[in-house]
Formats: sequence, C-alpha cells, structure tokens
Amino acid sequence: MADLDIKEKKDIFTEEFLINMGPQHPSTHGVLSLELKLDGEMVLECTPHIGYLHRSFEKLAENRTYTQFIPFTDRLDYVASMNNNLGYCMAVENLLKLDITDRAKYIRVIVAELNRIASHLIAIGTFAQDLGAFATPLFYCFREREKIVDIFNEICGNRLTYNYIRIGGVQSDLPKGIEEKIKNFIKYMRSKIDEYDWLLTYNVIFLARAKNIGLLRKDIAINYSVTGPNLRASGVKRDLRKDRPYLVYDKFEFNVPVGVNGDAWDRYKVRIEEMRQSLKIVEQALGSLPQGDPTVKTGRVHKPAAGEAYFRTENPRGELGFYIVSDGSAYPYRLKIRAPSFSNLAVLPELIKDAKIADIVCISGSLDILMGEIDR
Amino acid sequence: MFTLLNLTNMITTGIAVLGFIAISAMFLIWWERKVSAHIQTRLGPMRVGWHGILQSVADAIKLLLKEDIRPAGADKLVWWLAPFFVVVPSVMAFATIPFGKTLIPKDLNIGVLYILAVSSVCVLGVFMAGWGSNNKYSLLGGIRAAAQIISYEVPLILSMITVVMYANTLSMQKIVESQSHSWNILHPNLALAGLIYITSATAEVNRAPFDIPEAESELVAGFHTEYSGMKFAMFFIGEYTNLFIISAIATTLFFGGWKGPLLPGVIWFLIKTYSIIYILMWIRWTFPRLRVDQLMGFAWKFLTPISFLNLAIAGWLLL
Amino acid sequence: MAASLMLRSMNNIITGILSLIKGLIITFNNNFTSATTLQYPDEKKAMTERFRGLIDLYPEKCVACYQCVKACPTACLAMTHKQTDEKKKITNTFTYNIELCCFCGLCQQVCPTGAIYMNKIYEITTYERNKLYINLLNPEKYDEWPHTSPK
Repeated sequence: MADLDIKEKKDIFTEEFLINMGPQHPSTHGVLSLELKLDGEMVLECTPHIGYLHRSFEKLAENRTYTQFIPFTDRLDYVASMNNNLGYCMAVENLLKLDITDRAKYIRVIVAELNRIASHLIAIGTFAQDLGAFATPLFYCFREREKIVDIFNEICGNRLTYNYIRIGGVQSDLPKGIEEKIKNFIKYMRSKIDEYDWLLTYNVIFLARAKNIGLLRKDIAINYSVTGPNLRASGVKRDLRKDRPYLVYDKFEFNVPVGVNGDAWDRYKVRIEEMRQSLKIVEQALGSLPQGDPTVKTGRVHKPAAGEAYFRTENPRGELGFYIVSDGSAYPYRLKIRAPSFSNLAVLPELIKDAKIADIVCISGSLDILMGEIDR
Repeated sequence: MFTLLNLTNMITTGIAVLGFIAISAMFLIWWERKVSAHIQTRLGPMRVGWHGILQSVADAIKLLLKEDIRPAGADKLVWWLAPFFVVVPSVMAFATIPFGKTLIPKDLNIGVLYILAVSSVCVLGVFMAGWGSNNKYSLLGGIRAAAQIISYEVPLILSMITVVMYANTLSMQKIVESQSHSWNILHPNLALAGLIYITSATAEVNRAPFDIPEAESELVAGFHTEYSGMKFAMFFIGEYTNLFIISAIATTLFFGGWKGPLLPGVIWFLIKTYSIIYILMWIRWTFPRLRVDQLMGFAWKFLTPISFLNLAIAGWLLL
Repeated sequence: MAASLMLRSMNNIITGILSLIKGLIITFNNNFTSATTLQYPDEKKAMTERFRGLIDLYPEKCVACYQCVKACPTACLAMTHKQTDEKKKITNTFTYNIELCCFCGLCQQVCPTGAIYMNKIYEITTYERNKLYINLLNPEKYDEWPHTSPK
C-alpha cells in the first residue's frame, strides 16, 4: 500500500522550464533579453541579459575633447536627449568652475522640462500598448510628442539628438516667436493630459491590469538604488530638483507627486502628474525669462585643471550622474556615467517573482527602462 | 412545404447570401482599417483605389500567392481541417438570418437553437488548429481560446433565452415580427440581456477587450501561427464573418431586425448591423486587453449570475 | 452589512461602466479630428531654418583653417589645402563621409567665416554606398537628392 502511494506521488510533478524572452521582442523596450524560469504560469526566477546595445561611450570619451563628447551624450537616453546634455555640461562646468548666465539657466530649464514631458509621453504610450490598448494611446502620445519635437526642431535643428546644451550655456539663443509656440503648446497639452485621464487612468480594465501588479516596497527600492518616478511611486519623496536644486529650480513652485503602493498603476500615475508639474515649471520659466547672452565665451578647447567632479541631475527616468576625472589635458582621463535605468532594471527580477507571464510585460513596461542608457 | 417555388427561392437567396458574405468580409476588413486609422488620427489605406477600397483585394491576391507551409510533425488531417471548422459554421449560421421580409434562405422553426448549435462548432476548429500545429505555444493558445469560448457560451445562451421567452418563439422571422410595436432593446429587462449578449458575443469571437488568443505577442503566439497563405486567410475571413453574424443576430433579437419606416427592410437591416459593428470596432480600439484569469473570472463570477438573475426576473414578470 | 456590500458593488459597477464610456467618448471625438499624418511622398514636410541636414560648403569663403575637421567628433571631414599666389590658403580637397556624420552641427558652429553650413536635405538614402562619400568642392554633389526648402 505504501509503495502505491509513493508511485502515485511521482506521477504528478511539474517541471520548470527555461524561456528566453529574447533580445528582439515586441514588448520589451529595446534589446533586453530576459531569461525566465517558469513553473507553469508563475515565474520563479528571472535573469536579465544586457549589453546588446553597448557602444563603449566611456572609452570613446577618453579620446574626445569635452565639446566633442556632447553629441555622444545625446545617444545615451535617446528619448530625453536634452537632459543628458544638461547633466554632462553641468558636470564639466563644475570641473571648470564656470558660471553661466541667467538666461542660459532659464533656457536650459525650459528645454529640459519639455523633454521630460516628451519622455514621459513615450513611457505612457508604450505602457498602454503593452497592456493591449493596441495602438490608440500610443498614437495620441506621439501626436503630442510631435509638437514638442517640432518646437525643438525650431530651436536647435534636430528632432531627436539635440546637441543643444553646450559647455558655457546653450548653442544659440531661442529663435523669435518660439515663446508664443511654447505657450500655445502648454495650453494644448493641459487639455490632452485630461484626455489621457479619461481614456486610460481610471479605466476599469486598465485598473484591473495595473493595480497591485509589481509592488515595489519602499525598503527594497532604496536598497536597489532605484530612482526617479519608480522610487517616488513607492512612497519616497526624493526629487533632485527639490532636494539638491541645480540651475534655477529653487525659484519655481511645483509639487513632487508621490505614490502610495508602488504598483504599476502608481508609477504610471506619478508620470502623468509629473507631466502636469513640468508644464507648470515651463510656464513660470517663460514668464520670468531674463534678457542677456545665452552663452559664456570660453576657449575653443577646454583644459580643466586636474581633479574630479561628480554631478547628478534628475533625468525623466531617475538620477543621472556624470563622474569626470581630468588630468589637465583636453581629453578626460575617465568619464563614468551613472545611468538611472541600470539600477531600475536591477530590481526587475525582484518584482517579477511569483508574477504571471502576462504581468511580466506590464511590470517591465511600468519601470520605463531604456537600453541606450543601460548599455552605453 | 417544399414546392418548386420555395426551392428556387431558397436556392437563389442562399446564393445571394453567400455572395454577400464574401463581399461583406472584404468590406469589413477595409472598414476596420479605416475606422481604426481615424480613431488614431491617421488615414489608413489610401493608395489602392479610391481611399484604399481595393486594399482587401490586394491582400487576398497576396495571400493566394503565398506558399502553403505545413509544419513537420503536424497531424495532417487535423491541421488541414481546422480552418474549415472555423469558417463553415459561421457561413451555415447565415441560413436563418432575416435580411428582409422574405430575404431569408429558410426560416426554420428552431432558428435560434440552430444558430447556437452551429456556432458552437467553432470551438472545435480553434482547438484543432492549436493541436494540429505540433507547437507547444499554439496548443496553449488553442486551449485558452477554447476555454474562453466555452465559458462565454453560458451568458450568451441565457440572454438569448430571455428574448425567446418574451417573443414566445424560436423562429428568427417571428422574433422580428414580435418587435413591430417597439424594439426589444427598449424593454429594461431585455436591454440588460442585450448588453450581456453583446459582451459575451464579443468574447466568443475573440475580439475587442477579450482578444488574448490572437493578440498574445508575449510568449504564446496564438493558435493560428502555423498557418500561412489561404488557410490564414480562412481564419481571418472567419473572424470577420463571425463579427457580422453576431451583429446580425443582435440586430434581429434586440433592435427590430429589418423593421423600419420608408426604406426597404434590407437597407434597415444593413444599417443597424453595420452600426453595431462600428460600435464593436470602436470598443476594440479604445480599451486595453483583459488578462486570461480576469477574463474567465468576469464570465463565471459576474456575467453568468447576472444573466441568471435577469432570466429569473423575466420569468417572474411574464407569469 | 449585506446592504452596504451591495451598495458598494453597485457603485463599483457604475463607476466602472462610466470609466468605459468616458474612454469611448475620447476616441469618438478623435475620430472626427483631421489626420495628423502626411501622405508622404505626395506631401512632404519642410524642416525649419535651423535644421541640420547634410554638410555643404561655400568654397570661396573657406580659409582652410581646419577648425571643422578638428571639431568633428566622428572624423567625417577630411581636407587638404594649398597656397594661392597671394600666400592665402584655400582648400585643395575636401571630402565628407555621410556614413560617419552624426549631424551635431559642431563644424557649422566653429567655422569663423561661415563657409561650412548644413543644408536642409533630410531624405538621405542612396542605392549605392559610394554615393555616401561626397566631395564637398563639387557644386553638383546634391543634385540627385530631393530638396524640400523650409518656409
């Protein structure tokens, strides 16, 4: 009798199998390879494999002058190029101990906040698409982003990799008539964000798909050094624009949206609220834009004194840091980039444990990672 | 009974309906692309013919010219028959749809029962496609699709029975006649039944927020991945024919069929059916998708009790 | 207790259905707005005045100072110079590799005379790879490519 019991128990067993959600995938954002160990429908383990977009920027920087490296920083987080340029230029200005004019500071803030809106639009659009709202929210988000990109096209001449913020200020002054266009855009965008609230945010199906999925607890988020909207959605009120203000952020009045649970819906909601706050900042900056020169005259080639500098800015995806070591020559000795998506991705295996297959895409979409930053 | 006139009437109407199905499927494919494009503020097909109206013809020619690849190890007969089991029941269901006062191939006494019986055979086709493909993920997709279709049959049948209770007959033509005073949808009991019907019918044909089996691009690729060329076209056409069928049935049971002032019955029928199809397309391009377990939970824990309640109230009101 | 439960679930159902209807209204409204897309290639969008297209040259203005060559981050420009009779420097050869160019505009900004500039061509496609290596001194270099002039 006892033997029969053991035989029966042996017949029923489930096997775990490995699946590769490979680098080419319609749902992962960029070339990310997730190696999943599944037990039926539940995920037991997840190992991300990165490096498919590695272009060795940090090594290339050792053979480029400080100005020549600015186009490279565009291509890190290619969706929010202005913020990358800003972080790098502020780090170099820190090293050179250079002060920039007030007008340059205001222009930099306007441009960086507009790019934050553009980046969040892509995050929201692709998140909705991953959940199955097939293409409609994505098209609406891209329609709004097109307006921002057109404004940038008028300001600097490119639509994706701007190379506008330079060491000592900005490339050139704002063209005539652009302030009117930005004001119209702000009014337009405010009504569109309300539309997104109607279309997606409180939609019953969206709530069922995104609430209580991928709960990121406060202590886990802090331990993994998650930053940006992901951290704020977990309940930690940390925003570099308020805690360590750079440029002229301390002159503006804006709120920092903080979530409650840390689930995918909270991360989405924090991004929507951040778009509203960014519009507020741009409006205030346009209202008090000082006159003057947008660039400080520096030499053609920058030769900072030997030393090191680390500067961090609030990228749309988190805290972007540049660590530059200079040995006195025109080329940096070492340039290290602290990419926010790298730490955000590291928390993904923790979140995916015990999730269903259909939720993997939702969770990785809500973290809003970008492979260009992770692999550099 | 079967006089020669009746027979010729049946055959001509049948041939006209078959021709209509083919043209309607092509038109619906084009219309879906246009509706989805306009909702997304773009234009859709514009090049092939006036505003792209011949796009379906171009797609059909392309699919005809494609190579028919059979996966190695596929169960030959099962794999080959699956598309037929998906398309033929939909076409068979057209036999009792009243397009007009006399434009119905055969007005069976058991019209509603016949339609339900015939459309349930679709499940077999889906499952055969999943099994015959010899692919782990197609099988998973096929099983999920079959589970979804079977679960949503229950609220579907219950809502149709509510209508039958009020109309006192199973014949489709007589149900339309019973709505000569007012449409069924205006009665609160039947309005709820109509809502339940449209929701479960959308889930039956794997559309709109319930399209996990066909749009699952994450891991499971869907039950019709291993099909190419004309067989894939069969699945595709089957889906749009199904869409037309459920809208036509909704029109007949809830919106008064071909009844309407001034214009001939056929035109009214087509207007109503295409309006319901437009609403279904509109829903598809607005909402995100439900997850599989939420889908099944919605059917069994929400729709089925409500349709039972509705039926009980209808029975009590009619006593 | 049961009544409050029923009330709460009725409330949930009604808010749920309202949220669905709100979403439907948004897409319905967008249905009737005009399209935001262009029918390319029948309609082409013109880029702005400051747009950074391909590199172009006014050879008569160039003084062969090599600043653009030094400023380029990807080394896509290559130049040699010669001396004229009045001991002035002018360019001898000036090649441009479109494959390497990253359209950053650093060369245009650093040129002291405004000789090198970026034109407004944005449809940069060829069928042959050797067409991507341009001799900037040739005045007909961009004749094959479509020009869409800004407003």
